[in-house]
Amino acid sequence: MATVADVESGTQAPTPPARPAARRRSFAVWRWVILLIAGVFFLIPLYAGLRFAGLKAFGKVFTYPGFGSAVGLSLRLAVITTVLTLVLMVPTTVYVHLRLPQIRRSMEGITILPLVIPPIVLIIGVLKVAPGFLLGTPYLLALVYVILAMPFAYRSLDAGLRAFDLKTMVEASNSLGAGWPTTLWRVVLPNIRTAMLSATVLTVALVLGEFTMASLALYVTFPVWIVQFEQNAGPVTTAASLLALFITWILLMLIVTVGGRSARKRGGAQVSLFSVAAPAESSQTMGEPE
Amino acid sequence: MTTNTARDAAAADGTRQAGQTGGTSVSLQNLSRSFGTTRALDGLSLEIAPGELVALLGPSGCGKTTALRIVAGFESADTGSVLVDGKDISSVAAARRDMGMVFQSYSLFPNMNTLDNVAFGLRMRKQGSAQRRKRAGELLEMVGLVDQAQQYPHQLSGGQQQRVALARALAIEPRVLRLDEPLSALDAKVRLQLREQIRTLQQRLGTTTLFVTHDQEEALSMADRVGVMRQGKLVQIAAPDVLYDDPATPFVAEFVGVMNRIPAELQASGNPRTVTVLGSTVPVKGEEPAETQSTVGGDGPVDVLVRPEGLTMQVMENGNGIVTHRTFLGSVTRVRVLLSGDVAVQIDKPSSEAAAVALGTSVSVTLPPEPVLIAPRRPVTP
Repeated sequence: MATVADVESGTQAPTPPARPAARRRSFAVWRWVILLIAGVFFLIPLYAGLRFAGLKAFGKVFTYPGFGSAVGLSLRLAVITTVLTLVLMVPTTVYVHLRLPQIRRSMEGITILPLVIPPIVLIIGVLKVAPGFLLGTPYLLALVYVILAMPFAYRSLDAGLRAFDLKTMVEASNSLGAGWPTTLWRVVLPNIRTAMLSATVLTVALVLGEFTMASLALYVTFPVWIVQFEQNAGPVTTAASLLALFITWILLMLIVTVGGRSARKRGGAQVSLFSVAAPAESSQTMGEPE
Repeated sequence: MTTNTARDAAAADGTRQAGQTGGTSVSLQNLSRSFGTTRALDGLSLEIAPGELVALLGPSGCGKTTALRIVAGFESADTGSVLVDGKDISSVAAARRDMGMVFQSYSLFPNMNTLDNVAFGLRMRKQGSAQRRKRAGELLEMVGLVDQAQQYPHQLSGGQQQRVALARALAIEPRVLRLDEPLSALDAKVRLQLREQIRTLQQRLGTTTLFVTHDQEEALSMADRVGVMRQGKLVQIAAPDVLYDDPATPFVAEFVGVMNRIPAELQASGNPRTVTVLGSTVPVKGEEPAETQSTVGGDGPVDVLVRPEGLTMQVMENGNGIVTHRTFLGSVTRVRVLLSGDVAVQIDKPSSEAAAVALGTSVSVTLPPEPVLIAPRRPVTP
């Protein structure tokens, strides 16, 4: 028996997989080369910033006037925007998938509009028509950010809903006696967790980095504060922007780790910072989700 | 062995058995439903007796799934009504119909393990945690998946997932069980096992069941009665053997089982009418369906429909056919014979006899003098 197996493997087995293996190796090499080039491209400016600011500047950032309130406002905006976005977009996307699948294409078109309209046009229009009780409150800016976040949130959720058999799940849940609210809460939401996480990450990143609108509407968010202070304290604001970058990273990592832990435990969808971004990307390039 | 576990579990659950003996009757009354210009259902009426398993069989697009979805409450009928135990449930929401369902595609909730999936319906019925775990455990025992209770759907095979889905549907002690092609996504061997398991459980629990399938073998082997559907209408509903031996129309005859079509000449004057086929004259089968009568009026060319086991074949020099192909099916061998006029027929012979008939042998094919089913002549397709 053993000899037969040996003979067989000796004559046939190694030849066919040999070529794909070589190709895979060269693929791997190219992957590393590209990663290296990209890494250098992104890291050099960071390093330059660090050199320019010096380590001492990092300590000073926190004592500068306005830093605390600017960061606080940005974080508040991030939370309000994310909550509003999810509350608005999750039911809408689920409804479109279940009842109006034929308008999915036009939904994609509509949700991409905020990317096409220049922020200046949008915010000036909004400021003209905004009701008085909203002017000057974070809610006005948050509402505008909800619109800005729409393309990203919709795409994430859309990809998430396409990744499982929503219609059958909902019908199965109904047939077992679950009404609409229960079905949404116990069946739909847990299964689009990754997509909701992805929408959250993208929304938070967007809010923490947005400058044009906040500045034009006279809100001193963190990015606006950085620009204001750059005039008189170059190294400190550079340190602040690096800090902003790291804080955003840490925040995103935190969201992903906390949100993904239970999913990983179940062996369900693998969640990482990279896979979180994936659904949004794949739907933009019209790739079908697995 | 699965039968044993099922029996034990059912025996342990005496209350349920007693409660089920009454059973639930279902009545579909004159259901019609259109989607745009297509009529999915066209006046479908169907009675299901308590504890009965009725299969709806038909080609895709015949309306069988629409019928099931209307019973489920996922679609509504344009006209007609669904009665359960005599009560019209047309206006009852799907969630309140108390009917279990097993779907064609895998429908387990991916975020819950096997036990929680099975217990989901009980949770919706506000049962306590301990009680529903116990009940879900019993159901898993019935389908032989106790060891998989803590696993998640993606860790189960397709067959296991459908068994969990069956346990989940049965856990709520449904008044009616609906099966929407539950086996079509599975491979052949698993399909056979699960077919038996579903039928055994259904009979043991006495759950009234509506089963939709396009697989005639599945329908014939599992159902008490099979309803053959075509273009939104029920063409015939009967016990499997009646359907096979005594099909009401040529459509049913050809859709269920294998059927030969042999050109023949009809003599409409006789009583009963007769046809001349393969050199002999045989009577036309008794109650003639309206479908045939209207199209086959007077004398003239018709097709005779005969099962492969209904033809006899003998080796004979200068016979009326030549053996072109043999398919070994176990105890019988299906022999393909080319008759004059480019008509191919299939004949079943015991394999021991068929082995002696080589390809190219000249044979004589004849028809026993029993009443036959006829259909309008159809152009011979090569």
